[in-house]
Amino acid sequence: MKISQNLGIPIYQQIAEQFRSDILEGKFAQGEYLPSIRGLAKDLKISVITTMKAYEQLESEGLVTAVQGKGYYVNAQDGEMLIEQHRRKVEDALLEAIKYARIAGMQDKELTETLQTLLQLEED
Amino acid sequence: MNTTPVITCKNIEKKYKNFTLNVENLEFPKGFATALIGENGAGKTTLLEMIAGLRLEHKGDITYFNKYSEDDRENNLDIKNKIGYTGTGNYFLPHWNLEQTRMAQELLFDGFDVRKYDSILENLALSMNGKKDRNKKVSELSDGNRTKLMLAGVLSRDTELLLMDEPASPLDPLMRDKLCNMIQDYIASSDGQRSVIFSTHNISDMENVTDYAVIVENGSVVEQGFVEELKEKYTYVKGDIEDLKAAEGYLYDVTSSKYGFEGLCLSENMDKLAGLNLMCETPTLMQLSVGIMRANTRLGKAGK
Repeated sequence: MKISQNLGIPIYQQIAEQFRSDILEGKFAQGEYLPSIRGLAKDLKISVITTMKAYEQLESEGLVTAVQGKGYYVNAQDGEMLIEQHRRKVEDALLEAIKYARIAGMQDKELTETLQTLLQLEED
Repeated sequence: MNTTPVITCKNIEKKYKNFTLNVENLEFPKGFATALIGENGAGKTTLLEMIAGLRLEHKGDITYFNKYSEDDRENNLDIKNKIGYTGTGNYFLPHWNLEQTRMAQELLFDGFDVRKYDSILENLALSMNGKKDRNKKVSELSDGNRTKLMLAGVLSRDTELLLMDEPASPLDPLMRDKLCNMIQDYIASSDGQRSVIFSTHNISDMENVTDYAVIVENGSVVEQGFVEELKEKYTYVKGDIEDLKAAEGYLYDVTSSKYGFEGLCLSENMDKLAGLNLMCETPTLMQLSVGIMRANTRLGKAGK
């Protein structure tokens, strides 16, 4: 896991993001425990509270469940949830695209055309 | 966040000639590392010494491990044994050699792990030639090395709470990094049973081991909280000099130059700054501490 101190993204978000993709990509089995909070903090050389916040974020997203005294285990990733998570990523990426299109002065029509062209290329 | 306190301070008051320490309510969370931050003379050492039991006369109560009183700490060896303390002075006699510090601590403390002591001394580069170095006298050590000796001593005991007064100050950058690792090892080794409270001026060096921050100014606690929560409570803003007048009133602390200004703002006040062309950042612990310290020093001056 790579953590950057000067990326401008809070460290807890960087950790949550990496676990999120690992979980969604199936690198963690259902029921498997995430590393212990204090152990991970030590290994990443960050504070305990930062690690905790990352895990709490994952819990609020429904990806993991906290068990008192035992840690956080990975939930069953049902299909719907996976789809929802990915939908959100698509929206984020498109919002980003719109932002840059505005800067570049692209018309809405031009933007949708670009998307269509890219979709076409992908299919081919 | 739900946490159990390892130390609870209630209505602590201690008067000195020109200074009063006054802590109404302060809880140090169990299982975490807490940093005491504040100006020189703010009261950090006094507070740590009170908790350690080195200053007995004061008003108010200190509760240990959520159930023991100060009398319990004085009279129950088990509790005393659970608490380790390192100060800024040197508590080994100057004419002792390293071997004697080892023997004295073995006698004094139950559960003192001699092997661990030797391995920490080696790890800290205090002894490398085994027996030969053990004849080195405490008085021959540099300030940094004396601090290392105290750290090695306290870490070789089977404690649940470490109180450290300025452990980082006399250490070089390499050793500060090692100190951070040692604190993290200590906290990680028990899964939530062990806590550390340290005072520091080296906020950036220690940020990565700081879970909870207590900022002390002029004898009172002016801010406390989990670092991640404080980072949400405050926002660091930077702006152009034209906007300074409009923003100033809402900023906790502001510094300006002819190009622009920057300062700390309570996040809840951010909407009052809407419309200004500002850059907003999550503050570092250093920015937070300096901002809060400066704001409170100024209040003190204005009151006079």
